[in-house]
Amino acid sequence: MTKAHVNKLDSETLSALLDGEQHLAEGKISDQDVATFGRYALIGDAMRAQKNNNDIHIDISDNIALALESEPVYADFTQSTANKAPDTERSEAQQDNKVVAFNWRKPVAQLAIAASVAMFAIVGVNTLPQGAGEQESEIPLLQTTPLTGMASPVSYSSEPALENAEQGLRELQQQRIGALVLEHQRQARVAHSLQTAQNSDKAQEGKN
Amino acid sequence: MKVITFVLSLVLSFNVFANDTNPAKDLLLNMANAVHTRNFDASFVVVKGKAMEPYRWVHAKQGETELEHLSLLNGAGLEMVRVNDQVTYFEPQSQPYSINTDSIAGPIPEVLFKDIEALSSQYDFVLGGKGRIAGRAAQLVRIESKDEYKYNYWIWLDTESSLLLKAAYVNHQGEALEQLQLTHISVTEQPAPMILEVLNRNFPTPLPGNALEGEKSNATNWRIGWLPNGFKLLKSDRHKLDLNNELTDYYLYSDGFVEISVFVQRPLPGRRLSGSLTSGATTIYVHNGGNFDVSVVGNVPSQTAKAIAESVTRAL
Repeated sequence: MTKAHVNKLDSETLSALLDGEQHLAEGKISDQDVATFGRYALIGDAMRAQKNNNDIHIDISDNIALALESEPVYADFTQSTANKAPDTERSEAQQDNKVVAFNWRKPVAQLAIAASVAMFAIVGVNTLPQGAGEQESEIPLLQTTPLTGMASPVSYSSEPALENAEQGLRELQQQRIGALVLEHQRQARVAHSLQTAQNSDKAQEGKN
Repeated sequence: MKVITFVLSLVLSFNVFANDTNPAKDLLLNMANAVHTRNFDASFVVVKGKAMEPYRWVHAKQGETELEHLSLLNGAGLEMVRVNDQVTYFEPQSQPYSINTDSIAGPIPEVLFKDIEALSSQYDFVLGGKGRIAGRAAQLVRIESKDEYKYNYWIWLDTESSLLLKAAYVNHQGEALEQLQLTHISVTEQPAPMILEVLNRNFPTPLPGNALEGEKSNATNWRIGWLPNGFKLLKSDRHKLDLNNELTDYYLYSDGFVEISVFVQRPLPGRRLSGSLTSGATTIYVHNGGNFDVSVVGNVPSQTAKAIAESVTRAL
Protein backbone atom coordinates (compact mmCIF):
# COMPACT_ATOMS: atom_id res chain seq x y z
CA MET A 1 0.00 0.00 0.00
CA THR A 2 2.74 2.31 0.93
CA LYS A 3 4.61 1.54 -2.23
CA ALA A 4 1.66 2.17 -4.47
CA HIS A 5 1.08 5.43 -2.74
CA VAL A 6 4.63 6.46 -3.30
CA ASN A 7 4.50 5.49 -6.93
CA LYS A 8 1.39 7.52 -7.47
CA LEU A 9 2.99 10.53 -6.02
CA ASP A 10 6.05 10.05 -8.16
CA SER A 11 3.93 9.76 -11.26
CA GLU A 12 2.19 12.97 -10.48
CA THR A 13 5.48 14.72 -10.13
CA LEU A 14 6.75 13.26 -13.32
CA SER A 15 3.66 14.17 -15.24
CA ALA A 16 3.80 17.70 -13.94
CA LEU A 17 7.47 17.87 -14.77
CA LEU A 18 6.89 16.84 -18.37
CA ASP A 19 4.04 19.23 -18.85
CA GLY A 20 6.23 22.04 -17.77
CA GLU A 21 4.20 22.62 -14.64
CA GLN A 22 7.15 21.87 -12.52
CA HIS A 23 10.79 22.66 -12.92
CA LEU A 24 13.27 19.96 -13.50
CA ALA A 25 15.08 19.01 -10.40
CA GLU A 26 18.46 17.42 -10.73
CA GLY A 27 18.50 13.69 -10.41
CA LYS A 28 14.75 13.46 -10.28
CA ILE A 29 14.33 11.80 -13.68
CA SER A 30 16.96 9.22 -13.06
CA ASP A 31 14.82 7.95 -10.26
CA GLN A 32 11.98 7.30 -12.60
CA ASP A 33 11.56 4.24 -14.63
CA VAL A 34 12.75 5.06 -18.12
CA ALA A 35 9.83 3.28 -19.72
CA THR A 36 7.33 5.28 -17.72
CA PHE A 37 9.08 8.40 -18.72
CA GLY A 38 8.87 7.51 -22.37
CA ARG A 39 5.19 6.69 -22.06
CA TYR A 40 4.31 9.96 -20.44
CA ALA A 41 6.36 11.78 -23.00
CA LEU A 42 4.36 10.10 -25.73
CA ILE A 43 1.05 10.96 -24.11
CA GLY A 44 2.14 14.53 -23.83
CA ASP A 45 3.25 14.58 -27.44
CA ALA A 46 -0.07 13.20 -28.56
CA MET A 47 -2.00 15.77 -26.63
CA ARG A 48 0.02 18.61 -28.02
CA ALA A 49 0.30 17.17 -31.50
CA GLN A 50 -2.83 18.78 -32.89
CA LYS A 51 -1.89 22.14 -31.63
CA ASN A 52 1.66 22.14 -32.82
CA ASN A 53 1.29 19.96 -35.88
CA ASN A 54 4.07 17.74 -34.71
CA ASP A 55 4.40 14.28 -36.10
CA ILE A 56 4.50 11.49 -33.65
CA HIS A 57 6.80 8.66 -34.49
CA ILE A 58 5.73 5.38 -33.11
CA ASP A 59 7.72 2.48 -34.36
CA ILE A 60 5.55 -0.62 -34.31
CA SER A 61 7.07 -2.38 -37.32
CA ASP A 62 8.90 -4.79 -35.07
CA ASN A 63 5.71 -5.79 -33.35
CA ILE A 64 3.89 -6.27 -36.65
CA ALA A 65 6.66 -8.35 -38.06
CA LEU A 66 6.56 -10.47 -34.96
CA ALA A 67 2.82 -10.89 -35.17
CA LEU A 68 2.96 -11.77 -38.86
CA GLU A 69 5.38 -14.53 -38.17
CA SER A 70 2.87 -16.34 -36.03
CA GLU A 71 0.00 -15.63 -38.43
CA PRO A 72 -1.36 -18.71 -40.29
CA VAL A 73 -0.68 -18.76 -44.02
CA TYR A 74 -3.75 -18.67 -46.22
CA ALA A 75 -2.22 -18.54 -49.65
CA ASP A 76 1.36 -19.59 -49.93
CA PHE A 77 2.74 -19.05 -53.35
CA THR A 78 6.21 -20.06 -52.35
CA GLN A 79 5.00 -23.47 -51.32
CA SER A 80 7.03 -25.25 -53.94
CA THR A 81 10.32 -24.18 -52.46
CA ALA A 82 9.59 -23.50 -48.84
CA ASN A 83 7.34 -26.38 -47.88
CA LYS A 84 8.68 -29.05 -50.12
CA ALA A 85 10.71 -30.86 -47.55
CA PRO A 86 8.02 -31.31 -44.89
CA ASP A 87 5.49 -32.19 -47.59
CA THR A 88 7.42 -35.07 -48.99
CA GLU A 89 8.33 -36.26 -45.56
CA ARG A 90 4.74 -36.38 -44.57
CA SER A 91 3.63 -38.27 -47.63
CA GLU A 92 6.44 -40.72 -47.24
CA ALA A 93 5.48 -41.25 -43.66
CA GLN A 94 1.92 -42.01 -44.62
CA GLN A 95 3.08 -44.47 -47.22
CA ASP A 96 -0.15 -44.52 -49.08
CA ASN A 97 -0.62 -43.88 -52.69
CA LYS A 98 -3.69 -41.75 -52.45
CA VAL A 99 -3.09 -38.38 -53.86
CA VAL A 100 -5.33 -35.61 -53.37
CA ALA A 101 -2.79 -33.01 -52.61
CA PHE A 102 -2.66 -31.33 -55.92
CA ASN A 103 -3.27 -28.02 -54.28
CA TRP A 104 -1.65 -25.88 -56.88
CA ARG A 105 -4.08 -26.92 -59.57
CA LYS A 106 -7.01 -28.62 -58.04
CA PRO A 107 -10.14 -28.78 -60.11
CA VAL A 108 -12.92 -26.77 -58.61
CA ALA A 109 -14.99 -29.48 -57.04
CA GLN A 110 -17.90 -27.21 -56.23
CA LEU A 111 -18.72 -26.88 -59.89
CA ALA A 112 -20.18 -30.30 -59.97
CA ILE A 113 -20.79 -30.71 -63.65
CA ALA A 114 -18.02 -31.05 -66.15
CA ALA A 115 -18.24 -28.45 -68.84
CA SER A 116 -18.40 -31.06 -71.50
CA VAL A 117 -21.50 -32.48 -69.96
CA ALA A 118 -23.31 -29.24 -69.41
CA MET A 119 -22.61 -28.46 -73.02
CA PHE A 120 -25.24 -30.92 -74.04
CA ALA A 121 -28.10 -29.39 -72.15
CA ILE A 122 -31.02 -30.04 -74.39
CA VAL A 123 -33.81 -27.53 -74.59
CA GLY A 124 -35.96 -29.48 -76.92
CA VAL A 125 -36.07 -32.30 -79.37
CA ASN A 126 -36.71 -31.28 -82.89
CA THR A 127 -37.04 -33.45 -85.88
CA LEU A 128 -36.69 -31.79 -89.19
CA PRO A 129 -39.93 -31.77 -91.14
CA GLN A 130 -40.25 -35.14 -92.78
CA GLY A 131 -42.45 -33.84 -95.57
CA ALA A 132 -42.56 -35.07 -99.13
CA GLY A 133 -39.45 -34.32 -101.12
CA GLU A 134 -37.25 -34.27 -98.07
CA GLN A 135 -34.04 -36.10 -98.47
CA GLU A 136 -34.19 -39.38 -96.67
CA SER A 137 -30.65 -38.94 -95.49
CA GLU A 138 -31.63 -35.83 -93.56
CA ILE A 139 -30.86 -36.43 -89.93
CA PRO A 140 -33.12 -35.11 -87.23
CA LEU A 141 -31.28 -32.79 -84.90
CA LEU A 142 -31.84 -32.56 -81.21
CA GLN A 143 -32.07 -28.95 -80.21
CA THR A 144 -29.53 -27.83 -77.70
CA THR A 145 -28.40 -24.78 -75.88
CA PRO A 146 -24.85 -23.68 -76.50
CA LEU A 147 -22.69 -23.62 -73.43
CA THR A 148 -22.84 -20.14 -72.05
CA GLY A 149 -22.75 -18.89 -68.52
CA MET A 150 -26.49 -18.40 -68.62
CA ALA A 151 -27.56 -21.80 -69.85
CA SER A 152 -29.03 -23.82 -67.05
CA PRO A 153 -26.85 -26.83 -66.34
CA VAL A 154 -27.89 -30.43 -66.53
CA SER A 155 -29.63 -31.37 -63.37
CA TYR A 156 -28.74 -34.63 -61.74
CA SER A 157 -31.34 -34.58 -59.08
CA SER A 158 -33.86 -37.14 -60.16
CA GLU A 159 -36.86 -35.06 -59.15
CA PRO A 160 -39.76 -36.11 -61.28
CA ALA A 161 -41.23 -33.13 -62.99
CA LEU A 162 -44.79 -34.13 -62.35
CA GLU A 163 -46.37 -30.93 -63.52
CA ASN A 164 -44.78 -31.28 -66.87
CA ALA A 165 -44.20 -34.74 -68.20
CA GLU A 166 -42.54 -33.46 -71.31
CA GLN A 167 -40.09 -31.50 -69.20
CA GLY A 168 -39.38 -34.54 -67.07
CA LEU A 169 -38.69 -36.68 -70.09
CA ARG A 170 -36.43 -34.04 -71.50
CA GLU A 171 -34.50 -33.97 -68.28
CA LEU A 172 -34.13 -37.72 -68.30
CA GLN A 173 -32.81 -37.64 -71.82
CA GLN A 174 -30.55 -34.76 -70.95
CA GLN A 175 -29.13 -36.63 -67.99
CA ARG A 176 -28.60 -39.69 -70.06
CA ILE A 177 -26.81 -37.85 -72.83
CA GLY A 178 -24.60 -36.06 -70.33
CA ALA A 179 -23.74 -39.38 -68.73
CA LEU A 180 -23.01 -40.97 -72.10
CA VAL A 181 -20.69 -38.19 -73.20
CA LEU A 182 -18.77 -38.32 -69.95
CA GLU A 183 -18.54 -42.09 -70.18
CA HIS A 184 -17.29 -41.89 -73.74
CA GLN A 185 -14.59 -39.44 -72.70
CA ARG A 186 -13.50 -41.68 -69.88
CA GLN A 187 -13.49 -44.86 -71.89
CA ALA A 188 -11.56 -43.20 -74.68
CA ARG A 189 -8.73 -42.68 -72.21
CA VAL A 190 -8.09 -46.37 -71.92
CA ALA A 191 -8.62 -46.98 -75.61
CA HIS A 192 -5.03 -46.47 -76.53
CA SER A 193 -3.57 -48.74 -73.93
CA LEU A 194 -6.15 -51.38 -74.85
CA GLN A 195 -5.19 -51.06 -78.47
CA THR A 196 -1.47 -51.39 -77.84
CA ALA A 197 -2.22 -54.39 -75.64
CA GLN A 198 -4.24 -55.96 -78.47
CA ASN A 199 -1.56 -55.24 -81.00
CA SER A 200 1.18 -56.75 -78.88
CA ASP A 201 -1.00 -59.82 -78.31
CA LYS A 202 -1.40 -60.17 -82.02
CA ALA A 203 2.31 -59.70 -82.62
CA GLN A 204 3.00 -62.48 -80.15
CA GLU A 205 0.47 -64.76 -81.76
CA GLY A 206 2.09 -64.06 -85.08
CA LYS A 207 5.42 -65.15 -83.71
CA ASN A 208 4.04 -68.38 -82.28
CA MET B 1 21.35 -33.86 -124.00
CA LYS B 2 17.66 -34.49 -123.90
CA VAL B 3 18.28 -38.15 -123.43
CA ILE B 4 20.55 -37.49 -120.49
CA THR B 5 17.93 -35.28 -118.86
CA PHE B 6 15.32 -37.92 -119.42
CA VAL B 7 17.49 -40.62 -117.93
CA LEU B 8 18.37 -38.37 -115.03
CA SER B 9 14.75 -37.60 -114.32
CA LEU B 10 13.93 -41.27 -114.55
CA VAL B 11 16.64 -42.08 -112.03
CA LEU B 12 15.48 -39.30 -109.74
CA SER B 13 11.86 -40.30 -109.85
CA PHE B 14 12.85 -43.89 -109.32
CA ASN B 15 14.78 -42.84 -106.26
CA VAL B 16 11.73 -41.10 -104.88
CA PHE B 17 9.64 -44.22 -105.29
CA ALA B 18 12.39 -46.41 -103.95
CA ASN B 19 12.64 -44.45 -100.71
CA ASP B 20 8.86 -44.28 -100.44
CA THR B 21 9.17 -41.27 -98.20
CA ASN B 22 6.10 -39.26 -97.57
CA PRO B 23 7.11 -35.78 -96.43
CA ALA B 24 3.79 -35.32 -94.68
CA LYS B 25 4.30 -38.48 -92.67
CA ASP B 26 7.88 -37.46 -91.85
CA LEU B 27 6.66 -34.13 -90.51
CA LEU B 28 4.16 -35.88 -88.29
CA LEU B 29 6.82 -38.21 -86.98
CA ASN B 30 9.05 -35.21 -86.28
CA MET B 31 6.18 -33.64 -84.40
CA ALA B 32 5.66 -36.79 -82.32
CA ASN B 33 9.33 -36.75 -81.50
CA ALA B 34 9.40 -33.04 -80.64
CA VAL B 35 6.39 -33.34 -78.36
CA HIS B 36 8.22 -36.00 -76.38
CA THR B 37 11.62 -34.36 -76.15
CA ARG B 38 11.16 -30.60 -75.95
CA ASN B 39 10.57 -28.45 -72.91
CA PHE B 40 7.64 -26.24 -73.69
CA ASP B 41 4.84 -24.28 -72.11
CA ALA B 42 1.87 -23.66 -74.36
CA SER B 43 -1.67 -22.38 -74.20
CA PHE B 44 -4.37 -23.32 -76.64
CA VAL B 45 -8.09 -23.04 -77.14
CA VAL B 46 -10.44 -25.62 -78.56
CA VAL B 47 -13.35 -24.08 -80.42
CA LYS B 48 -16.42 -26.28 -80.79
CA GLY B 49 -19.10 -24.39 -82.62
CA LYS B 50 -20.10 -21.63 -80.23
CA ALA B 51 -18.32 -23.13 -77.25
CA MET B 52 -14.69 -22.65 -76.40
CA GLU B 53 -12.34 -24.45 -74.05
CA PRO B 54 -8.97 -22.99 -73.04
CA TYR B 55 -6.14 -25.31 -72.03
CA ARG B 56 -2.62 -25.00 -70.73
CA TRP B 57 -0.09 -27.60 -71.83
CA VAL B 58 3.32 -27.95 -70.24
CA HIS B 59 5.86 -30.58 -71.10
CA ALA B 60 9.31 -31.26 -69.70
CA LYS B 61 12.02 -33.77 -70.28
CA GLN B 62 14.16 -34.01 -67.20
CA GLY B 63 16.92 -36.52 -67.78
CA GLU B 64 15.11 -39.74 -68.64
CA THR B 65 11.86 -38.63 -67.07
CA GLU B 66 9.09 -37.15 -69.14
CA LEU B 67 6.57 -34.88 -67.49
CA GLU B 68 3.44 -33.52 -69.04
CA HIS B 69 0.62 -31.48 -67.63
CA LEU B 70 -2.55 -30.58 -69.45
CA SER B 71 -5.29 -28.63 -67.77
CA LEU B 72 -8.67 -27.31 -68.78
CA LEU B 73 -8.86 -23.77 -67.49
CA ASN B 74 -12.57 -23.00 -67.67
CA GLY B 75 -15.44 -24.29 -65.61
CA ALA B 76 -15.00 -27.12 -63.18
CA GLY B 77 -11.68 -27.97 -64.76
CA LEU B 78 -9.86 -31.14 -65.55
CA GLU B 79 -6.24 -31.90 -64.79
CA MET B 80 -4.20 -34.49 -66.56
CA VAL B 81 -0.68 -35.27 -65.45
CA ARG B 82 1.69 -37.68 -67.11
CA VAL B 83 4.89 -38.98 -65.59
CA ASN B 84 6.53 -41.27 -68.14
CA ASP B 85 4.05 -44.10 -68.75
CA GLN B 86 1.53 -43.15 -66.14
CA VAL B 87 -1.28 -40.70 -66.69
CA THR B 88 -3.38 -39.42 -63.81
CA TYR B 89 -6.73 -37.75 -64.32
CA PHE B 90 -8.05 -35.28 -61.77
CA GLU B 91 -11.73 -34.65 -62.29
CA PRO B 92 -14.22 -32.75 -60.23
CA GLN B 93 -16.56 -34.97 -58.26
CA SER B 94 -14.53 -38.14 -58.50
CA GLN B 95 -11.35 -39.55 -57.05
CA PRO B 96 -8.23 -39.09 -59.14
CA TYR B 97 -7.09 -42.22 -60.90
CA SER B 98 -4.12 -43.33 -62.98
CA ILE B 99 -3.78 -45.35 -66.15
CA ASN B 100 -0.71 -47.04 -67.53
CA THR B 101 -0.39 -45.36 -70.87
CA ASP B 102 2.20 -43.22 -72.55
CA SER B 103 0.02 -40.35 -73.68
CA ILE B 104 -2.69 -38.10 -72.34
CA ALA B 105 -6.11 -38.53 -73.88
CA GLY B 106 -6.86 -34.85 -74.28
CA PRO B 107 -8.29 -32.85 -77.14
CA ILE B 108 -5.45 -33.90 -79.45
CA PRO B 109 -5.76 -37.45 -80.82
CA GLU B 110 -3.23 -39.58 -78.97
CA VAL B 111 -2.02 -41.42 -82.01
CA LEU B 112 -0.39 -38.25 -83.31
CA PHE B 113 2.18 -38.47 -80.56
CA LYS B 114 3.07 -42.00 -81.56
CA ASP B 115 3.47 -44.09 -84.62
CA ILE B 116 1.05 -42.79 -87.19
CA GLU B 117 2.08 -45.58 -89.53
CA ALA B 118 -0.78 -47.61 -88.09
CA LEU B 119 -3.25 -45.20 -89.69
CA SER B 120 -1.97 -45.72 -93.22
CA SER B 121 -4.62 -48.27 -94.10
CA GLN B 122 -7.48 -45.89 -93.33
CA TYR B 123 -6.01 -42.42 -93.85
CA ASP B 124 -3.85 -40.62 -96.39
CA PHE B 125 -1.18 -38.13 -95.34
CA VAL B 126 -1.05 -35.11 -97.58
CA LEU B 127 1.21 -32.10 -97.46
CA GLY B 128 -0.74 -28.83 -97.52
CA GLY B 129 0.24 -25.19 -97.82
CA LYS B 130 2.38 -23.01 -95.65
CA GLY B 131 1.06 -20.26 -93.45
CA ARG B 132 1.55 -18.28 -90.29
CA ILE B 133 -0.02 -19.62 -87.12
CA ALA B 134 0.48 -18.25 -83.59
CA GLY B 135 3.14 -15.94 -84.95
CA ARG B 136 5.22 -18.73 -86.41
CA ALA B 137 5.82 -20.18 -89.85
CA ALA B 138 3.62 -23.23 -90.17
CA GLN B 139 3.24 -26.16 -92.52
CA LEU B 140 -0.13 -27.81 -93.01
CA VAL B 141 -0.39 -31.60 -93.00
CA ARG B 142 -3.73 -33.14 -93.85
CA ILE B 143 -4.79 -36.53 -92.57
CA GLU B 144 -7.50 -37.48 -95.01
CA SER B 145 -9.93 -40.29 -94.39
CA LYS B 146 -10.08 -42.74 -97.27
CA ASP B 147 -13.87 -42.98 -97.01
CA GLU B 148 -16.59 -40.50 -96.12
CA TYR B 149 -17.48 -42.17 -92.82
CA LYS B 150 -14.84 -40.35 -90.82
CA TYR B 151 -13.67 -36.77 -90.58
CA ASN B 152 -10.40 -35.47 -91.90
CA TYR B 153 -7.90 -33.99 -89.53
CA TRP B 154 -5.67 -31.09 -90.46
CA ILE B 155 -2.57 -30.16 -88.51
CA TRP B 156 -0.38 -27.09 -88.78
CA LEU B 157 3.16 -27.69 -87.58
CA ASP B 158 5.85 -25.22 -86.60
CA THR B 159 8.47 -25.42 -89.34
CA GLU B 160 11.18 -24.62 -86.82
CA SER B 161 10.40 -26.74 -83.77
CA SER B 162 8.03 -29.27 -85.43
CA LEU B 163 5.55 -28.65 -82.63
CA LEU B 164 1.83 -28.52 -83.24
CA LEU B 165 0.39 -25.02 -83.71
CA LYS B 166 -3.12 -25.67 -84.88
CA ALA B 167 -5.36 -28.61 -85.63
CA ALA B 168 -8.89 -29.09 -86.87
CA TYR B 169 -11.48 -31.75 -87.56
CA VAL B 170 -12.66 -31.01 -91.07
CA ASN B 171 -15.69 -32.54 -92.74
CA HIS B 172 -15.79 -33.59 -96.36
CA GLN B 173 -17.22 -30.25 -97.41
CA GLY B 174 -14.04 -28.66 -96.12
CA GLU B 175 -15.67 -27.02 -93.09
CA ALA B 176 -13.72 -26.96 -89.84
CA LEU B 177 -15.94 -28.44 -87.12
CA GLU B 178 -13.63 -28.29 -84.18
CA GLN B 179 -10.48 -26.24 -84.08
CA LEU B 180 -7.56 -26.25 -81.76
CA GLN B 181 -5.38 -23.18 -81.88
CA LEU B 182 -2.27 -22.42 -79.91
CA THR B 183 -2.27 -18.90 -78.58
CA HIS B 184 1.17 -18.98 -77.07
CA ILE B 185 4.11 -21.33 -76.91
CA SER B 186 7.54 -20.99 -75.40
CA VAL B 187 10.17 -23.61 -75.99
CA THR B 188 12.97 -23.52 -73.46
CA GLU B 189 16.25 -25.27 -72.83
CA GLN B 190 15.41 -26.01 -69.23
CA PRO B 191 12.11 -27.40 -67.98
CA ALA B 192 9.81 -25.00 -66.14
CA PRO B 193 10.17 -25.28 -62.34
CA MET B 194 6.41 -25.56 -62.02
CA ILE B 195 6.24 -28.86 -63.86
CA LEU B 196 9.20 -30.31 -62.00
CA GLU B 197 7.17 -30.06 -58.86
CA VAL B 198 5.15 -33.00 -60.16
CA LEU B 199 8.14 -35.19 -59.35
CA ASN B 200 7.53 -34.61 -55.66
CA ARG B 201 3.95 -35.75 -55.79
CA ASN B 202 2.53 -39.18 -55.22
CA PHE B 203 -0.06 -40.39 -57.67
CA PRO B 204 -2.64 -43.14 -57.37
CA THR B 205 -1.43 -46.59 -58.33
CA PRO B 206 -2.54 -47.30 -61.87
CA LEU B 207 -5.52 -49.56 -62.21
CA PRO B 208 -4.64 -52.94 -63.61
CA GLY B 209 -5.49 -53.25 -67.29
CA ASN B 210 -8.67 -55.19 -66.75
CA ALA B 211 -10.02 -53.25 -63.79
CA LEU B 212 -11.86 -50.80 -65.99
CA GLU B 213 -13.83 -53.58 -67.56
CA GLY B 214 -16.98 -54.87 -65.99
CA GLU B 215 -18.71 -58.17 -66.65
CA LYS B 216 -17.47 -59.51 -69.90
CA SER B 217 -20.37 -61.79 -70.56
CA ASN B 218 -22.47 -59.48 -72.66
CA ALA B 219 -20.39 -59.53 -75.81
CA THR B 220 -23.07 -61.64 -77.38
CA ASN B 221 -26.09 -59.68 -76.19
CA TRP B 222 -26.19 -57.39 -79.17
CA ARG B 223 -25.04 -57.57 -82.69
CA ILE B 224 -23.58 -54.41 -84.18
CA GLY B 225 -24.26 -54.93 -87.83
CA TRP B 226 -22.22 -52.18 -89.40
CA LEU B 227 -19.10 -50.18 -88.67
CA PRO B 228 -16.87 -48.17 -90.96
CA ASN B 229 -13.81 -50.02 -92.21
CA GLY B 230 -10.91 -50.26 -89.82
CA PHE B 231 -12.84 -50.09 -86.56
CA LYS B 232 -12.02 -52.82 -84.08
CA LEU B 233 -13.71 -53.75 -80.85
CA LEU B 234 -11.53 -52.78 -77.90
CA LYS B 235 -13.82 -53.72 -75.08
CA SER B 236 -17.37 -54.63 -74.29
CA ASP B 237 -19.04 -54.94 -70.94
CA ARG B 238 -22.07 -54.07 -68.89
CA HIS B 239 -21.70 -51.38 -66.29
CA LYS B 240 -23.44 -48.52 -64.57
CA LEU B 241 -22.95 -44.98 -65.74
CA ASP B 242 -21.40 -42.70 -63.24
CA LEU B 243 -23.75 -39.76 -63.46
CA ASN B 244 -27.22 -41.24 -63.58
CA ASN B 245 -26.53 -44.77 -62.36
CA GLU B 246 -28.16 -46.28 -65.41
CA LEU B 247 -27.13 -49.73 -66.51
CA THR B 248 -25.75 -50.01 -70.01
CA ASP B 249 -24.30 -52.55 -72.36
CA TYR B 250 -21.18 -50.90 -73.60
CA TYR B 251 -18.97 -51.35 -76.67
CA LEU B 252 -15.83 -49.38 -77.43
CA TYR B 253 -14.46 -49.30 -80.96
CA SER B 254 -11.46 -47.54 -82.43
CA ASP B 255 -9.79 -47.27 -85.79
CA GLY B 256 -6.59 -46.04 -84.16
CA PHE B 257 -7.53 -42.42 -84.65
CA VAL B 258 -11.00 -41.89 -83.25
CA GLU B 259 -13.05 -43.85 -80.74
CA ILE B 260 -16.70 -44.75 -81.00
CA SER B 261 -18.81 -45.75 -78.02
CA VAL B 262 -22.00 -47.74 -78.48
CA PHE B 263 -24.44 -47.85 -75.58
CA VAL B 264 -27.48 -50.10 -75.46
CA GLN B 265 -29.89 -49.25 -72.66
CA ARG B 266 -33.40 -49.79 -71.42
CA PRO B 267 -35.83 -47.50 -73.22
CA LEU B 268 -36.71 -44.19 -71.65
CA PRO B 269 -40.40 -43.68 -70.96
CA GLY B 270 -42.57 -41.57 -73.20
CA ARG B 271 -42.25 -40.49 -76.78
CA ARG B 272 -38.66 -41.16 -77.73
CA LEU B 273 -37.24 -39.54 -80.79
CA SER B 274 -34.21 -40.58 -82.72
CA GLY B 275 -31.82 -37.80 -83.51
CA SER B 276 -28.34 -36.48 -83.39
CA LEU B 277 -26.57 -33.88 -81.35
CA THR B 278 -23.23 -32.40 -82.18
CA SER B 279 -20.66 -30.41 -80.35
CA GLY B 280 -17.64 -29.62 -82.42
CA ALA B 281 -16.60 -32.90 -83.96
CA THR B 282 -18.38 -35.01 -81.35
CA THR B 283 -21.63 -36.58 -82.45
CA ILE B 284 -24.18 -38.20 -80.19
CA TYR B 285 -26.80 -40.17 -82.03
CA VAL B 286 -29.75 -41.44 -80.04
CA HIS B 287 -31.72 -44.19 -81.71
CA ASN B 288 -35.05 -45.61 -80.66
CA GLY B 289 -34.64 -49.30 -81.33
CA GLY B 290 -38.11 -50.34 -80.18
CA ASN B 291 -37.69 -52.07 -76.87
CA PHE B 292 -34.21 -50.73 -76.35
CA ASP B 293 -32.32 -47.47 -76.90
CA VAL B 294 -29.04 -47.27 -78.76
CA SER B 295 -26.71 -44.29 -78.39
CA VAL B 296 -23.56 -43.79 -80.38
CA VAL B 297 -20.94 -41.24 -79.29
CA GLY B 298 -17.77 -40.37 -81.13
CA ASN B 299 -15.90 -37.96 -83.36
CA VAL B 300 -17.58 -39.15 -86.54
CA PRO B 301 -20.14 -37.62 -88.89
CA SER B 302 -23.73 -38.00 -87.74
CA GLN B 303 -24.51 -40.15 -90.79
CA THR B 304 -21.96 -42.66 -89.58
CA ALA B 305 -23.27 -42.61 -86.02
CA LYS B 306 -26.82 -43.06 -87.34
CA ALA B 307 -25.85 -46.00 -89.50
CA ILE B 308 -24.07 -47.69 -86.60
CA ALA B 309 -26.94 -47.11 -84.18
CA GLU B 310 -29.52 -48.45 -86.62
CA SER B 311 -27.47 -51.57 -87.29
CA VAL B 312 -27.70 -52.76 -83.70
CA THR B 313 -29.97 -55.74 -83.28
CA ARG B 314 -30.63 -58.24 -80.55
CA ALA B 315 -28.36 -61.21 -80.96
CA LEU B 316 -30.21 -64.47 -81.38
